[in-house]
Amino acid sequence: MRKSITFYGLTFSLPMLVWQALFFLAPLLFLIALSFWSVRNFRMEPDFNPDNWTRMLGRAVFWQAYLRTFLLSASAAVITSILAFPCAYAIAFKLSETARRWAIFLMVIPFFTSYLVRVYSWQIFLSDNGIFNALFAQVGIGPFGMLNSSFGVMIGYLTLSFPLVVLLQLFSLVFVDKTLIEAAHNLHCGRLRTVFEVIVPSAKVGLVIAALFCFILTFGDFVSPLYLGGGDPPTLSILITDTTKSGQQWPRAAVIALTMIATLLAVAFAAVSFAYRERGR
Amino acid sequence: MNSFNSNRLIDWALKLYVLLSFGFIFAPIAASFVFSFNVDRFPSLPLGGFSMIWYEAVWADPLIWEGLRNTLIAGVVVSALATAIGFGAAYTDFRYKFFGKSVYMALALLPPTIPVVILGLAMLAFLSNISLSGAIYSVIIAHVVMCAPFAMAICRLRLSQMDPSLEAAAWNLGASEWMAMRHVIIPFCKPAIFAALFITMAVSFDEFAVAWFVSGLNETLPVKVLGFLQGQVSPRINVIGTFVFIASMTLVVLAQILLMRRSGTPATTSAAAPADIGVVTP
Amino acid sequence: MTDQALVVFDGVAKRFGNFVAVEKLNLEIRKGEFLAIMGSSGCGKTTTLRMLAGLEAPSEGEIRLDGKRINDLPTWNRDTPMVWQSLALFPFLTVRENVEFSLRMRGADKAARRRRVDKWLERMQITEFADRNVAHLSGGQRQRVALARSLVTEPQILLLDEPLSALDAHLKVRMQSVLSNLQRELGITFVYVTHSQSEAFSMADRVVIMSRGRIEQIGNPQEIYRAPRTKFVAEFLGSSNIFAGEVSNVSEAAVKISTPAGEFDVVPNAAKPLSKGNKATFVVSDDRLHLSNRPPEDRLNRLQASVVGEEFVGATAVIHLEGAERIEIKVQKSHDELEQLNLEPGAQVWVSWRPDATHILPGE
Repeated sequence: MRKSITFYGLTFSLPMLVWQALFFLAPLLFLIALSFWSVRNFRMEPDFNPDNWTRMLGRAVFWQAYLRTFLLSASAAVITSILAFPCAYAIAFKLSETARRWAIFLMVIPFFTSYLVRVYSWQIFLSDNGIFNALFAQVGIGPFGMLNSSFGVMIGYLTLSFPLVVLLQLFSLVFVDKTLIEAAHNLHCGRLRTVFEVIVPSAKVGLVIAALFCFILTFGDFVSPLYLGGGDPPTLSILITDTTKSGQQWPRAAVIALTMIATLLAVAFAAVSFAYRERGR
Repeated sequence: MNSFNSNRLIDWALKLYVLLSFGFIFAPIAASFVFSFNVDRFPSLPLGGFSMIWYEAVWADPLIWEGLRNTLIAGVVVSALATAIGFGAAYTDFRYKFFGKSVYMALALLPPTIPVVILGLAMLAFLSNISLSGAIYSVIIAHVVMCAPFAMAICRLRLSQMDPSLEAAAWNLGASEWMAMRHVIIPFCKPAIFAALFITMAVSFDEFAVAWFVSGLNETLPVKVLGFLQGQVSPRINVIGTFVFIASMTLVVLAQILLMRRSGTPATTSAAAPADIGVVTP
Repeated sequence: MTDQALVVFDGVAKRFGNFVAVEKLNLEIRKGEFLAIMGSSGCGKTTTLRMLAGLEAPSEGEIRLDGKRINDLPTWNRDTPMVWQSLALFPFLTVRENVEFSLRMRGADKAARRRRVDKWLERMQITEFADRNVAHLSGGQRQRVALARSLVTEPQILLLDEPLSALDAHLKVRMQSVLSNLQRELGITFVYVTHSQSEAFSMADRVVIMSRGRIEQIGNPQEIYRAPRTKFVAEFLGSSNIFAGEVSNVSEAAVKISTPAGEFDVVPNAAKPLSKGNKATFVVSDDRLHLSNRPPEDRLNRLQASVVGEEFVGATAVIHLEGAERIEIKVQKSHDELEQLNLEPGAQVWVSWRPDATHILPGE
């Protein structure tokens, strides 16, 4: 089967290579170059100028946004993982075969519904005279300011990542060796304790990867922090959209984007090495 | 696990939790549907009267028609290109071993892990630098990058169900590589190819961030929704949301049916779930 | 002491939906014995073991351990450690942590845990691997870890579910002697489920043979081998030729049984008194049959059969033959003996055996 390069083979393998190199890899590399360009008289000029870097990284606003984004995404990863786990656990271990398939199907649906529409819908629920506060008023409490707060952002992040986290957790839980669970019970490990002593360690890779995906998704999302969190103080993704859309300060936006990529790479590397770390020699 | 070592109360609590989770997931989708028929501009409880005025408003809005047209054009072209490219990559992975294959695969699968704002900015900067931004084909270029990995995953899954010696058997019976592709591989992958067409189209229909960066004045429908979101409260979002939901779900369900008919499992995603959970083997 | 029952299965049945895995099982397992439960897959042997471990709930009947009913005791409150076919070692724990697991679950303090674990690592000769990842051990080492993990709490009973089936032949035999020695030294009860006759017969004090959820025979290995009770057991042991027919004449020394393959003299069996006209089934072990090209002496049972083929089994060969009415017969012989004979496929040969080489099945 392993022959020299043929026209036939290239017909199938080249399009992906060419397209992704040209329109995926090249733009990302171009971003690096762009971050050194300079802007004069509202026009970008090719240059090798570290100014954008020193300016952006020297700003307190940038670091505030960085910290806020990082903390929000890290909390989202933790909160979503914790909230998703009982759901994934129940689907993996407590539902019948048919019910599980339906549950998985239903979990996939949100990926094909507009995230924007769902965020708008949450505005209706969370606003000061929205559905939740109307319900609270019925029992005589509230109103609570839920929109334009970190709580609102978290609701949006959950909307974005909860189904994906459940699915990823589910797929690792489904592959947990059932005899390990039995063995734990057999060795005097009770029900709840088995979850933490055996099931979580067994599914560790999947659980960590799920949390990582939640982090990546929320780290780059600008919709929830803007429309449910109020956008003030901004997150890095809001800074990028603002900087890009209001004029020609693309090189600075590139600096932010590259900082984000560096952060994501570091987080992904840390998460993956944690996930695959083995006990003992 | 067997029923012996489980507690009925805990089981019910867990099942209730699953229901609540679905409640959380589907509440905004359902609310959007309900409020699209609500007469009030500012949605609140109790509901105002039933009305189609927002549907009429959307119907009468030429900007929305233009957005829809752009979305459809982009969606159709994107799905065709992304599926072709994705199928090629899946076949390459299935059949060939070569130096640097891991790099090739990384390039094929990485785009969905890059945050859309970053992808949007990079695309905008790069495409405008080579004068390709601000047009409908800019959206197409970007969406193909984002959708091809999904098409590839779907086709690869199907190919992994194929006996690799089928192709060799075809050659052995005198078929050329091209004929084997035409008469063995493609017929075998047909359901996956159609599923990939529908899924990539659905993804393109919903994508707003990168499209917002690169589309310029040729906004697609989701980009228009983003615009509405920035403006004041507008139930038109609910109307569009309901439309897009129905369109996307039709595509997804079609894809599901195609994949199910051949492989016998109800969900593409559940192919990874082994069938023996919850069954006690004597 | 040794004959006292440790475990009693009292009319225990297990159904999965419509499928009956175990039917009304009555079985006593004695203190300190090595009991093997044997049968082909799906015979209910593993289900029986799992009900004892508390991994499966009986549909009816009662299981008693040390005189106490344990039906409703969850598995984590029983002292019935088990060794799985897959061993079920925790891959995310080191060897030491695996062995320590059940002590930790019982809240033993650190010093006591360490002492016990060290003792068992030592005993199973795996001390040097204590800090290894279990995934990096060899098959034999993993077996020892699994045994240490189950025995560290020093239970009165150990359940083993085909633990040796994944090992190669040499290691299998070595682990068999490790297990037998261990059982003798500890003096505790081993319940060993297997489909392998050689494992069961070489280690067990008593063997239970199960088929389709029922016990076919219980006894010590020699008993079962020499005097199978039913056709199933004879077939399962695999080395017997089975003849079924009707008693045509009974004298003090012999029973004449008329079968489709001919009429044969058979030694009477005290466990199965027969009179003329009864149905009867008898077996002859394949190594007690003789082959010849000429007719044998008159006092021997004999029949003529045609050669079907030869199966090579190491030092010996098994000749497959077909008698009248397509009755299948197999004969085990050394290669030297076979060279004297014409055994071309299709050739007609005489098969003969002494009447005292036969055994009447009491259960048929």
